[in-house]
Amino acid sequence: MSQTPFDPVAQWQQMVSKWEQEINSWSGKLTESEQFSAMMGQATKVQVVAQRAFAEQMETLLKNLNLPSKAQVETLAERLDGLEDSIDRVRLAVEALAGKAAAVPAPAEPRRTKQPPKAPQKAKA
Amino acid sequence: MSEAPNQLPAETPSADAIAERVRRDVDRALKRNIKGLDFLTAGRAEVGAMAKDLIHREGTALLYRYRPVVDEIYRLPLLIVSPPSNKGYIFDLAPGQSMVEYLLGRGYDVFNLDWAPPRRDEAHLALTDYVDRFIPDALAKIAEITGEQDVSLAGYCMGGTLATIHASLYPGTGVKNLMLFATPVDFTHMHLFQKWADKRHFDIDEVVDRLGIIPPELMLGAFDLARPANRAAGKMTLWTNMWNDEFVRSYRMFDRWAAETLPVPGEYFREQIKLLMWENALAAGTLEIAGRKADLTNIAIPILNIVAKHDHIVSLEATQPLKELTSTPDYEEIISKGGHVSLVAGPAALRRLWPLIDEWLGKRSV
Repeated sequence: MSQTPFDPVAQWQQMVSKWEQEINSWSGKLTESEQFSAMMGQATKVQVVAQRAFAEQMETLLKNLNLPSKAQVETLAERLDGLEDSIDRVRLAVEALAGKAAAVPAPAEPRRTKQPPKAPQKAKA
Repeated sequence: MSEAPNQLPAETPSADAIAERVRRDVDRALKRNIKGLDFLTAGRAEVGAMAKDLIHREGTALLYRYRPVVDEIYRLPLLIVSPPSNKGYIFDLAPGQSMVEYLLGRGYDVFNLDWAPPRRDEAHLALTDYVDRFIPDALAKIAEITGEQDVSLAGYCMGGTLATIHASLYPGTGVKNLMLFATPVDFTHMHLFQKWADKRHFDIDEVVDRLGIIPPELMLGAFDLARPANRAAGKMTLWTNMWNDEFVRSYRMFDRWAAETLPVPGEYFREQIKLLMWENALAAGTLEIAGRKADLTNIAIPILNIVAKHDHIVSLEATQPLKELTSTPDYEEIISKGGHVSLVAGPAALRRLWPLIDEWLGKRSV
């Protein structure tokens, strides 16, 4: 037996879910074919080549406009990453030294003695 | 066509019921508009429930220790290896939605090997660096801090594959338990990626040589192809539930996590495609890391293999050979409802999976 309550929002949501399943299922069948693989291989290649070509064009354009290029920004970002990395290392080293020299000992480690809870005993018949 | 038996016509709702429903829907519509504006103007969703400290860093590799919250903990620390293409906070999204929070409360000492976006000078990092350098270095640091040589090793997705390869290279050493989430082992069953990176059409060398570091968009495109309707349907579902603060909060966290997919080093990507995807070398027993064979039969420690029933990225078949290919006498498998991501942080994980993990891991952590 089925009864349909009056709930347009729920019905809308059901419709969305059904549409999602159908599109995904259709896509799943499409990706099974070898043509799909061939197309994807080509698309990836084109994407990579086009990306490269576009980046080179953009590099020239930005240079002419006297603006920092993507490569320069990336270099800057990497130097920042490198600095962050170095700061982390220095901080870890300082903390290790400070821990050894500290007048106040670091907070105690928790005891490693915990045992798993015992399984409940089965009642004897 | 025959009519469905016993089907009643739709029940006519009472006037009061209709009035109540209309009132509720108008209220929700108003909230949707107000909260929708908030959503559009909001910054990044806050993530991370538990306090943690960076205890070791090696370029892209970041080792965190979550601060223990109880006085008495299990002897064995737990190291969770994140997949190199994703941030580790999927295990620690928010209070009440954090596996780390749950495990800390249950008395585990939790560490996470997470990844920063690799720099261009790290494009050469390969599988060897992950399984034979970053993981061993993390384990050494954990041993130094805790005084424990033994550890439970866990990993999610490719993080699980890296943990598995490491365990196969170092049998009989400190790794006492292996806990894997949606971890591919037999890559012939990674159907989508097999099609996407078909050897006959996908020029991996050209891609890696040209790009150096592989941008996340390259892989996200493959996910979108597998589920092209997901993004649009997700947005529609979000709008329907915009009145619901809990739903929106959860959506924003997952959305942030997906948007923060990391680039990966080109060499690692090349090996992932050539060795794992094309040669299926891990399952075939032919994978060599720095001249040593990563032989799965070397793994004789307890394994908990957690897989998602509706995972469209890592299928059940891709994960299950672990049972046959390893030599462990102590193998358990949990097939959880949900997909690749909800497996570790969805509502079903919170209610059912985490207590099962605690039950399995607790008795093996003493």
